[in-house]
Amino acid sequence: MRLLSLLLGATCAFALHASEAGVIDWHKALAGVPLVQSAATAPSFYRRAFDNGATRSLVLTATESNVLAVLDPASGSLEWRHVFDDDDHILAYRKSNDVVAALSGVGGAYLRLFDVTDGDLLLETRLHSPEMGRLFEPQDLGTAVAFGVGNQAQDVYVLTDGHVLRCIDRSTGDVKWGWSAPDQTSLVVYSKILATPSAVYLLGLTKSFASYTLHVTSISPATGEMVANGNVPSSISSGFSDVVLLRDLREPELEPRLVWLEDKSIKSFPLSPNLKAKPAVIKGAVYKSVQDVGISDYGQLVAVQEDGSGRVIRLSSEGLKVIWDYADSVDSPQRSDSIYAGGLDVDGYPYIARVFWSHVYKQASAHVFASHLAEGKGLVTGYTFPFKTEEHGVISHVAVDAANPEPYRVLARLFLTTSTGAVQLWQQDQLQWTREEGLSDIRVAELVELPERKVAAHAGVAHETFGARLRRQLSDAQDFPQYAVNFARRFVTGSYASVSAPVAHSSNTTELLSRDAFGFRKVIVAATAHGKIYGIDSADGNVLWSRVFGLGWAAQVGGHIIPAKLFVTRTVNDGETPQVVLVTQRKANNGLVDTVLFHVDALTGEDAMGKSVPHDVLQGQDVVSGPLVEAFLLRTDTGRAVLLLDEFLQVHLYPETEESRRTFEKALPSLRIPLKSGPPGQRRLTGHQIPPKVEFTGRHVAYQTWTLPFPPTEDIRAVFARPADPVASLGKVLGNRTTLYKYLNPNLLGVITGPSATLLPSKDAACGVYLVDGAKGTIIYHAAIPSVDGFCDVKATLVENWLVYHYYDNEAGPGHVKSYRVVSVELYEGHGVDERTMSSDLSSLSNETTSVSVYEQAYVFPGGITTVSPTSTTYGITMKDIIVANGNHQIQSFPRRFLDPRRPKQKPTAQEMEEWLIQYDPVIPNDPKRVLSHNYQVAKTRRIVTSPALLESTSLVFAYGLDLFFTRIAPSNTFDVLSENFNKAQLVFTIGGLALAIVIVKPIVERKRLRERWHDQ
Amino acid sequence: MRIPLALFALASSCVSALALDLKGRVQWTPQCPSLKELGQAKVVLDDGKMRGGVTRDGSFTIPDVPAGTYILSVIAHDHYFDQLRIDVFESDTLPEVRPYFPGTPLSPAAPATLPYPIVLSARGRADYFVPRESFNVLAMFKNPMMMMMLGAGALMLLMPTMMKNMDPEALEEFKERHAKMTSIQSSLQSGDLASGFSQLLASGGDEPKAAASAPSKGPSSGGAKHRGGKNKRK
Repeated sequence: MRLLSLLLGATCAFALHASEAGVIDWHKALAGVPLVQSAATAPSFYRRAFDNGATRSLVLTATESNVLAVLDPASGSLEWRHVFDDDDHILAYRKSNDVVAALSGVGGAYLRLFDVTDGDLLLETRLHSPEMGRLFEPQDLGTAVAFGVGNQAQDVYVLTDGHVLRCIDRSTGDVKWGWSAPDQTSLVVYSKILATPSAVYLLGLTKSFASYTLHVTSISPATGEMVANGNVPSSISSGFSDVVLLRDLREPELEPRLVWLEDKSIKSFPLSPNLKAKPAVIKGAVYKSVQDVGISDYGQLVAVQEDGSGRVIRLSSEGLKVIWDYADSVDSPQRSDSIYAGGLDVDGYPYIARVFWSHVYKQASAHVFASHLAEGKGLVTGYTFPFKTEEHGVISHVAVDAANPEPYRVLARLFLTTSTGAVQLWQQDQLQWTREEGLSDIRVAELVELPERKVAAHAGVAHETFGARLRRQLSDAQDFPQYAVNFARRFVTGSYASVSAPVAHSSNTTELLSRDAFGFRKVIVAATAHGKIYGIDSADGNVLWSRVFGLGWAAQVGGHIIPAKLFVTRTVNDGETPQVVLVTQRKANNGLVDTVLFHVDALTGEDAMGKSVPHDVLQGQDVVSGPLVEAFLLRTDTGRAVLLLDEFLQVHLYPETEESRRTFEKALPSLRIPLKSGPPGQRRLTGHQIPPKVEFTGRHVAYQTWTLPFPPTEDIRAVFARPADPVASLGKVLGNRTTLYKYLNPNLLGVITGPSATLLPSKDAACGVYLVDGAKGTIIYHAAIPSVDGFCDVKATLVENWLVYHYYDNEAGPGHVKSYRVVSVELYEGHGVDERTMSSDLSSLSNETTSVSVYEQAYVFPGGITTVSPTSTTYGITMKDIIVANGNHQIQSFPRRFLDPRRPKQKPTAQEMEEWLIQYDPVIPNDPKRVLSHNYQVAKTRRIVTSPALLESTSLVFAYGLDLFFTRIAPSNTFDVLSENFNKAQLVFTIGGLALAIVIVKPIVERKRLRERWHDQ
Repeated sequence: MRIPLALFALASSCVSALALDLKGRVQWTPQCPSLKELGQAKVVLDDGKMRGGVTRDGSFTIPDVPAGTYILSVIAHDHYFDQLRIDVFESDTLPEVRPYFPGTPLSPAAPATLPYPIVLSARGRADYFVPRESFNVLAMFKNPMMMMMLGAGALMLLMPTMMKNMDPEALEEFKERHAKMTSIQSSLQSGDLASGFSQLLASGGDEPKAAASAPSKGPSSGGAKHRGGKNKRK
């Protein structure tokens, strides 16, 4: 039966041909925005030496999307990435020649080793249960990884929980020895490891009165026994940020040194296994910070003096030595603070780059210092490079890699991470490539329709002279031969616009964007939490335009902008270029939150408010000075307006014009606004209305009309509404010619409840799915969902009268099945067939709104999902499919026919067959032919946006999360265009054959007739 | 050293007294010869809270699994694996491994048990694409409609010669049978199509009877109608 239904599904619906892969869809694999706050996760260059002497550079980074990624600096392509689970945060990574070690989870629960070149997982060990791990602030405190040197090259030293050190064999994963601080209750938190052949040093901080004291423990690398242990006389105020462990791998005989900043001077302490030494002080200057620039293993660090000037300090046989002062590095209003980064060249010589932005020249500068050049006196190479700050924000991190092709010449490669989430590689002053990793953090996205191409401009035709007209017509006619040839070719070969062809690109880039024949090409407008809005071409995924958000008054104190909602306020149907309004929350660093609105042209990214300068940051408009409670788009036949509610439920309109006011007044009587309210843990759903009269403040203030409290164990986790797509048929005609009328209450709202995120998980936690009438708070449908160990992960979607929700059922009792479930619910009007209440137009005051009959059915689902969406088409005639992002990093569609709640339990009768119902089978088949993303790995998808194309049969699908993926799907097949399987050759062949038959048969028949006449008469 | 290590073991054992590390291996087969082919994959219990990554040699470990019954599945992008049922006992240090079919109740458990450590192998690679139907003359003629059309054409050509060789009584009988056959055939073929269609054909079938007095015209016109009906359906 299952096979049969699978076959049935496969034959009568959409599936992808191999030739269409990569043509009708595209996929952008991203790594995520690099984590630059900690040196343990920030991007770094890495040079892999092969046995044959060749080397290859790679860039390693851990990212905010919880991915360990390796990029190729030459091309900017993603070499490999390892996607970590959401509850398993990367804390640190560390590289040796051929492996990368990554520590993740609370307190460093997991250690993983990867092959650097191909990303194969070599080893995965759990060091402790994540629940037992100690949480530190910042997260990477208390954890560290180091590789053994010399004889211990096979060993990895892992520090977890701030007090446990393990020595792990790289190839087997066995713990060779473990050491844990004898007094775990003490206040020592270890955070750094320095592995030398003679000892493994653990560096920690002890909290003492008003400051920290450094604590060092030396451990024998062979046995794991503690050799010595003691406090270093010190007093540190800023934690580990001003502590550096310095050694020189190139000169192993030098004793490693512990360097720290204390009372504005630099102190150091030589490390020997018995820890017997005296701290030394560098005299002669006042410092404000000591920076580990990534080459502390090569004996160099950067110290910044009180006036902001930087100097390079090096480990030498006579202790620490200042070897270079960066000229002109004093703090100045003319330039930004300097960023220092260290890197190595092929031969392992260290280089230190200083990068800053000059406000005067509007350019970035890099000064690269090489200590070994110029006969050991040191050499600085300086240059400027045209970093585009208006496009990428400010530089937030630099990693450097250098080459020294000839004496006195240094070539530097800079890997920049910017505040908008872009990563760039500059070779000297040449930009090699840019990756917009900010797109891995899209918060809102919308697909905007493109206008038709303007065929010809006929402006001023009326006043044209004869000569001018002749000239124009001649110039128009010069394309005619080409047109004729094209026409003939099209007629003969039958190569018409095809639904599986790539969407045509206009080679002319200056031409305004225009749609293709079927409306498959749209602009994806997406806003990220890294302060940027993008316009992406849905034909190929290229960024058409992008703008950086301006901070307004908060530019002085700093802050960030978080997009909340995106509305298309003007579409191509309004006759002009489409526009979008982005509602954001601006969180200034002084704690103030404002609601800021950005209004842009969707085709060019130009500011529609006209406030900002082109090619500069996009200026917004502060509409509410305070946080936003709710925003939505009012759509009436008079126009569109964005309605915003602030925390006092005051109504703000955008744009504040007479037209939008009229729109608002028209919509006012029917406005019912359901809101989440109450503190977290006891959220309620409250309904609001807006009075026609304004308050003394000059604004309408919404008042509460109803409250819907949920059980105390349940808290609102998500609220979802039906998409505003048109509904083609109001009912469903059954096999026996009766009709079920769809329940289409426009105020219908879905609510997912679950245990509060702030409470500890408990066994009696309950979850639920509710359908609520958003106008008066009546519960139309409710289902209780079992929790899994106090957690629920319910995903749901609502379209027309159809609710689909997905959860995991962990019941293991008799007759139970542990599995993912999907429940399909359909709501129909009245209490049976042929009952009609006109629910779509019913007044919310009517009692009829609750007269609903529910059909529901549960199915076993093949796997976990991260999000679910229905397809969307222009007129809503096409069947709706459900599209999910599943746990296998795939985007998969599930046809409605499998999820139909009216699938009969027995063999379908003739009437049911007429409705195309198939027999109930508890398991929904996992059909690979319905994996829209086929070979692509579409990871961590957060949302799937569907949008109609001009073709009724086709729905556009855009999935975002870590990756971007776009495709199109025809749930009921492309019934409105000639099938791809249509064979013009066959048609011609058949007609030709028939014509031939006629030619052959005609004389035979005629001859026969003639003969018959002769014989009969 | 001894003492800290013992402490260490104690510290970890107090957590894992009732739990066990589930170990296994993904066997590399011609369908899935290496981790490169498999990609980043993990082996999960139930809904994925407990999991272990598949390493290059195919091995995986799911640490600290408490007593209970679990469904083990492999999360891999392109390959399918069988699901297994794992029973971990408080008293036993070895779990029981059984085959499991999605959607079947957990109890009663299947009698067959599989060896531990678990050995998994890819059941197949997902094929995401459907082949495009291409034009093929032979396939076109294999189509029953096409064959019927050809048959009808051949019959039409052969009919007059066949008729000529028949004696008049047999001819009369044959015509009657033919008329009956056409009406049956048409009703069979038209199926859910409008009944008017079958009537149309029936009237076509009637014609030879009416024109029985003029046998010269009968067969040819009947044949032509028949073919006309066929073409319409195409």
